[in-house]
Amino acid sequence: MSGATRRAYVLLMTAASAALLFSFLVYILFAANLARFPYDYDQGEGFEVHDSVLFSRGALPYRDTETYPFYASNYPPLFHMMAAPFVWLFGPAYWYGRLLGFLGSLVSAAAIAYAVYRDGTRHKWIAALSGLAFLSSNFVYHIGPLFRQHTMMVTFETLAVVALAGAVPRRDKRGIALGLALLLCAGYTKQLAAITALAAIAWMFIRQPARAWTWTLGFALVGAAIFLWLNIASGGQWWNQAIVANVNVFMVEQALGLFNLWFKLHGFLLIPAALLFVYELYLERLSLYSIWLVAAALLGGIASGTWGAGDSYFVTSVAAACILSGIFFSRSLAGAWRFPRALRFNPSSKLTIAAALMIPLVYLGYARATLKMPTDGAFRPLAAVLGVEGNVRETFFDSATFKVGGYARIGYFLTSADWAAGAEIVELIQASDKPVLSEEAGFTLAAGRDVVTNPTQLRNLERAGLFKGEQLLAMIERQEFGLIVLRALFYPPSVLGAIGRRYEHTQTIHMNGFDYIILYPKALDEG
Amino acid sequence: MESQEPTVSKRQLGIALALTGTIGFGAILAIDIVDVGRPGGIGPMQSLALVIMAATAIVGLTLMPLGDAPA
Repeated sequence: MSGATRRAYVLLMTAASAALLFSFLVYILFAANLARFPYDYDQGEGFEVHDSVLFSRGALPYRDTETYPFYASNYPPLFHMMAAPFVWLFGPAYWYGRLLGFLGSLVSAAAIAYAVYRDGTRHKWIAALSGLAFLSSNFVYHIGPLFRQHTMMVTFETLAVVALAGAVPRRDKRGIALGLALLLCAGYTKQLAAITALAAIAWMFIRQPARAWTWTLGFALVGAAIFLWLNIASGGQWWNQAIVANVNVFMVEQALGLFNLWFKLHGFLLIPAALLFVYELYLERLSLYSIWLVAAALLGGIASGTWGAGDSYFVTSVAAACILSGIFFSRSLAGAWRFPRALRFNPSSKLTIAAALMIPLVYLGYARATLKMPTDGAFRPLAAVLGVEGNVRETFFDSATFKVGGYARIGYFLTSADWAAGAEIVELIQASDKPVLSEEAGFTLAAGRDVVTNPTQLRNLERAGLFKGEQLLAMIERQEFGLIVLRALFYPPSVLGAIGRRYEHTQTIHMNGFDYIILYPKALDEG
Repeated sequence: MESQEPTVSKRQLGIALALTGTIGFGAILAIDIVDVGRPGGIGPMQSLALVIMAATAIVGLTLMPLGDAPA
């Protein structure tokens, strides 16, 4: 590389690094803004807080929903077990779960960078940009700082894949055992990790079929033993709540829309990742990363179309794309390709020069494609320079917009008005001396009341024919709840019907961009 | 060390992919023959699945000439 090319390369790489570091800064600020908010930012977070509370008491959240408090969870236990010690120390709160998720995303980024460094050509700058590229994804930005188990699943998956990709070719038994143990951790954090497990096992069979049988058998036995223990310990509720109730309606338009959005946002990385996949397929050996990308993109993408799923289902494929594109770029810079004589390019040094100028431009393009930022306050001058205006909120820009179904409509920063609105709902709950039915657990947790029901779980159970709700319906009919707080109306139709008959809408409180509907018992005609 | 162990070749992988793609393609089309009551013919997800299966079969066929090279 000549001096001029070298200078241009350093300048462009510095610009790309600055763009991705800016994205990282916005991510940190968003996580900090969200961390202390004591209510749901994304609906369902509160139920994950409650699951952690139950685990901290040594209780399982896989319960009979026919009896008070009609609560059950559909999530595997590991993430909430990780949060349980924080419950002992700090009581029920959102901040530590959000911190765990955020730190998990940083660990994933570090693992991606390490994989690119180790399995590429030991190019530190490209490795660092690959990790930053993961954190820049709109999908990672959404889910990372939430009290959600999804990010931790991706962390375990990424660590498992990086461990196995290094250990299997070396026949490193400890490394393979560690990788498979991390895969089990991923699976018992969220069921979706089954896709990564399938990809890893398929790759092990391609590389070393005989050994793969032994390892797979051990992996399956340990996984099945945990599964059986959970089912026995919960009196069979684990199967109903975490498996049967997870089967949901599939929406084709949502899946196709999210596939399209995934490519629009991450195409700058997906194209080089696909090129490396093709190279490996025909000219080298397939890496685990390639099989992981194909499986996570296809199966995770299809799964994103199910009711309740969304853009987060693509995060695993984004991690794989960051690793593959990073390896592709570092090999291109080093000219480390082995083509058959008929396909060999001459002189290859020109390709290296082209790569040196193209690669930072690709990362710059990716940073622009995934741009999201506040447009007010300290960000206003930069937003003006970039020509960016609030598009999803008055003061927030998201390159993905909020137009695709299943793309979480979150990411903007919270204001003091959101805190005040949440406190107003909590005051209403505290003013009642009866149990309260709230569609989000955050308010009842803050008020020190029982968490009653998990609406989406009841809806899913009813769809599966596993929820009659006689006791809950009777309580509603007898107006035993002091008030009811609704937002998205996720309860089963039978429950919403009973609420409509016995309660009336008296107040609407706007928080975090959503309307919370407050209902009180109707005055009944005694005659 | 690994190279001394039996491994899946590109030809074997090609055969597996070609068979999976062909059988999968036929099975997806067969949904409309078996489940006659389904409305609307071949749906968008079915079309996508057919494309994926066809692509899998084609990739498999192109791998088969690469012989014993490890996959």
